[in-house]
Amino acid sequence: MALSDSPSGSSDSTAKIAVRNVSSAYESGGETVQALLDISFSVDDGEFCCVVGPSGCGKTTLLRTIAGLETPDSGSVLVDGEPVTGPGLDRGMVFQEYALFPWRTVRGNIRFGLDRPACGCSDCENRVRELIDLVGLDGFADSYPKALSGGMKQRVGIARALAVDPEILLMDEPFGSVDARTRDRLHTELLDIWATTDQSVVFVTHDIDEAVTLADKIVIMGTEPRTVQSTLTVDLPRPRDRTATGFVDYVAHIRDKLGSPTE
Amino acid sequence: MSVQTDTGRNTASVWYASDLRRYLRGLGGLVTFLAIWWIGAVMTQPSYLVPTPIESAWAFLELFTSSTEIVVPIVDMGLVLPTGVAHLTETLFHYVPGLFVGAVCGIGLGLTMGWSGRLDDWLRPLIRVLRPIPPLAWIVFAIVWFGIHHTGAAFIVFVGAFWINFYGAYGGVEGVSSDLTDAASTLGVDRDLSMLKLVALPSAAPQILTGFRTSIGRCWMIVVGAELFGAPGVGYEIINASNNLAMDTSVAYMVLISLAFLCMDVGFRRFERRILAWR
Repeated sequence: MALSDSPSGSSDSTAKIAVRNVSSAYESGGETVQALLDISFSVDDGEFCCVVGPSGCGKTTLLRTIAGLETPDSGSVLVDGEPVTGPGLDRGMVFQEYALFPWRTVRGNIRFGLDRPACGCSDCENRVRELIDLVGLDGFADSYPKALSGGMKQRVGIARALAVDPEILLMDEPFGSVDARTRDRLHTELLDIWATTDQSVVFVTHDIDEAVTLADKIVIMGTEPRTVQSTLTVDLPRPRDRTATGFVDYVAHIRDKLGSPTE
Repeated sequence: MSVQTDTGRNTASVWYASDLRRYLRGLGGLVTFLAIWWIGAVMTQPSYLVPTPIESAWAFLELFTSSTEIVVPIVDMGLVLPTGVAHLTETLFHYVPGLFVGAVCGIGLGLTMGWSGRLDDWLRPLIRVLRPIPPLAWIVFAIVWFGIHHTGAAFIVFVGAFWINFYGAYGGVEGVSSDLTDAASTLGVDRDLSMLKLVALPSAAPQILTGFRTSIGRCWMIVVGAELFGAPGVGYEIINASNNLAMDTSVAYMVLISLAFLCMDVGFRRFERRILAWR
């Protein structure tokens, strides 16, 4: 079993996403806080990559940097070899607190990206119907977000991000606010959706079980310093059984890594 | 099944009873007020100081049984209407343009200032100074610039409507969640104008509409103030009637203003509820 830490994986030139020596700091109460320190890793085309680490380790900042919502102080993010300079339709994002437009219905939210001039879908109505079907929200097309449960809201969030058919899906603790049973179901559905598309996924979580359930590759981040501790390839067949020895070994390994800072 | 229907009917009838009780209490308050008014009016000498409710009711009726000719501004055309309607129309000739132009300008500036940090830096001190000036204080300029007629009164209403709507829109845009603008950016919104239209405006809509609804009421106060200085309309009729010691007619016009405001407020609340069904 490949429990050893993998090297950086593929070389930057063939990777879908290459994060190169990204550092970023922000001011808080007159002090400079180092949010990210010299982060490097890459994600292959079609790969499901989880970034796992304790709260406050800069996972979200990292994801926002890949999305182009934040600019790093040094280093760069490359997508298909091109540096990221801002948000783009090639990178869809799913937010922790859903970030649905409350004045738009489920249909209207999913449709949002399709109405942009940059998007050239020929039959948007149909595309929206397919997506509603895909995330299992039949019958809720005309509901407003306020009427939906957390799990349903995040289904809308996922469908909205998928609508413009991005090559990369960035997910920021998307299932952090839903109950455990719903989360399990959403994991299965997310993997099903991912299997039918050829998207690369970067999925941020603090839940080690969640990371091992989903990922091809896990990037482990620490807080002291806020950098990549190690990268790990998860070599388990899907669907994964959380009680199987292999699974438990991975979880123990990651927990061990997180519990012992490198310095 | 039968249990369910029973509880359903029960809660409905309980709701109905408490509602009825509420209405009866409201009616009781109203009747008590009228009784005190009446006794006070009868006891006050000389009697013209406080007209009785009945006298006032007759004066109110008379607003609709007599007729008056007013002049429609701009087209300068005579128009004969029942007296009350005529003077209310005169008021609306400056109230409506003042309110709408003020609202549009206020919302426009509020949105842009709330959105653009640079414009905010430029204008914030100026607004701090201008904002506390009561709209009616501008009446001196309204008089020397426009004369105290429709335009002058509309200008005063404009000032009042402008600030309330400005703050509604400004606060609304400032409260737009960065999560929503981030989501929109990742979905291809890359121009400020699109972001304003697709995210900021709908997100600020509740505050903007509340601001507008508040300005409907405030502008009625302001418009009556402007008319007390001589602009034609219901406010002018209040002071005109009192100058002739026809206090019952003054009361009738006060009730007319109250009804006009109530209609607009209720109408707008309905509109608001429909637009903000998503809340």
